[in-house]
Amino acid sequence: MPAETLAFRAAVGGSGERVNSQRSGARVSQAPGRVNDSELIRAAQRGDRAAFESLVRQYDHAVLRLAYHLTGSEADAQDIFQEAFLKAFRHIGNFRFECSFYTWIYRIVTNLCLDHLRKRQTRREDPHVLTDSSGQQVDLLERVSDDRSGASPEKDLMRRELNARIAKALTRLTPRERMVFELKHYQGLRLRTIGEMLSTTEETAKNTLFRATQKLRIALAPLRPEREKLS
Amino acid sequence: MNCEWTRENIVLYVYGELADDAVHSLEQHAQHCDACRQELESALEFKNGMADALPVVEISPNLLAASRMKLQESLDHAAQARGLGRLAFDLAGWMHQLKLAPALTVALLMIGFAGGSLTTWRIASRTQPQMADSAAKFDADIVGIDSIEPSNTNRLAIGYKTQQRQTFEGPADDPAAQQLLLLGSSSSNPDVQMKAIELLGKKAQDLDVREALINSLRFDNIPVVRLECLRALRGYVKEVRVRDAVVEALVHDSNPGVRGEAIRLLDQVQSDTSVREVLLVLARKDKDPYIRAEAKRVLANSPTMY
Repeated sequence: MPAETLAFRAAVGGSGERVNSQRSGARVSQAPGRVNDSELIRAAQRGDRAAFESLVRQYDHAVLRLAYHLTGSEADAQDIFQEAFLKAFRHIGNFRFECSFYTWIYRIVTNLCLDHLRKRQTRREDPHVLTDSSGQQVDLLERVSDDRSGASPEKDLMRRELNARIAKALTRLTPRERMVFELKHYQGLRLRTIGEMLSTTEETAKNTLFRATQKLRIALAPLRPEREKLS
Repeated sequence: MNCEWTRENIVLYVYGELADDAVHSLEQHAQHCDACRQELESALEFKNGMADALPVVEISPNLLAASRMKLQESLDHAAQARGLGRLAFDLAGWMHQLKLAPALTVALLMIGFAGGSLTTWRIASRTQPQMADSAAKFDADIVGIDSIEPSNTNRLAIGYKTQQRQTFEGPADDPAAQQLLLLGSSSSNPDVQMKAIELLGKKAQDLDVREALINSLRFDNIPVVRLECLRALRGYVKEVRVRDAVVEALVHDSNPGVRGEAIRLLDQVQSDTSVREVLLVLARKDKDPYIRAEAKRVLANSPTMY
């Protein structure tokens, strides 16, 4: 690699940044599960409940986290979690190995989440206010800690303001744009996989991601000076 | 490569979706074009800023454990419904067959009639009810278990009430004894209940017994009964349902002794991700110093996975 290219990468954020290095750590660990999935699916199709539960265990954490992040409510996330795996249980016999089980279960979950987002769009709920299992509302932005040295009450306030506006900008996306952005930005999935999950093409997923990021960047552009102050 | 192509592909570059040759071209172009370089910097700043400002909130181990348990129950119901659905379907199939085969219909009716008559004759010919040696005897009429007396010769004497008090005497491994012990495990008499749980603990290899022990562990009001259930389930912690019940007891039980026993049992499944997550939370936040110390000890013994 030419020296000037390396220097350029360093200038724009480092070469490592290019490959989805967001700190969420929310990616689904797909590889280890795949090896045994086929055997487990066949056993589950024969009615082996333990095999189905093993499949559930491989993906339930990621599924619950996705549903929670998208809905912002523990109760809603639990409902989606239940419904997704129950659907999978009832229809496992229809699974034809045309895609991975991981793609299949995520397709079910994303469809349920999309329905939820569409319903919520008509109700216009505050997206960054979560409802925990006891029914209490918790501001998501309150949970984002600022551990850096030099954090002051003023900066903290600005950070909350910034986060609130980001959360609001996310609600301006269409449910599909929100979903593609979530799966790419936060879950770190490949666009090809996202296309499969949403029963569309990789090209359409690319275009949707492009539109989502453009909308968000436009919505958040006036905040750039604030971000610079905080950094 | 021109500016239009570059701007269209900057998002893909930022999210690592661009092919290697296209990456090279984009970087080369941005190096010599100020406008595109600014656009690229802005896109990278946006991506990093979003990840910093609004990260994914990690779900709590309690939420995961509760969701898993709720799903287990839903799956139980769904499995039952599926079984009944199959039966209904089969009956419909039989009816269809019968419509098409009048001779078979007549034959089946005759068999049914003969079977019914034989059964009626056998019931009528019994002079006196005898102690049955199978579990079927206890299907109806038992209203409670009075007493349980184990003997040294692997035999049991179990007093039970139907409309009047009766006694079963027989080998401890008799299915009838097991059925009575299962009933005894939810008796309102604590003495009977404890003996039943102790004896059932020796038969924990049986799925029905484990289910009864899990139910008592979850719902019984007497701490010593819950403690005995935990001890009985010790050898089965690696089983998903047992492990979930033990984790639930550790997190939610009001009795420190039960919680202490639960955390010791989890030593066997310390490397399980969900168990580790629960232990991490308890090690940090639990009100009971003993539980915090035990959680740390178990975590320290488990192999490092991260």
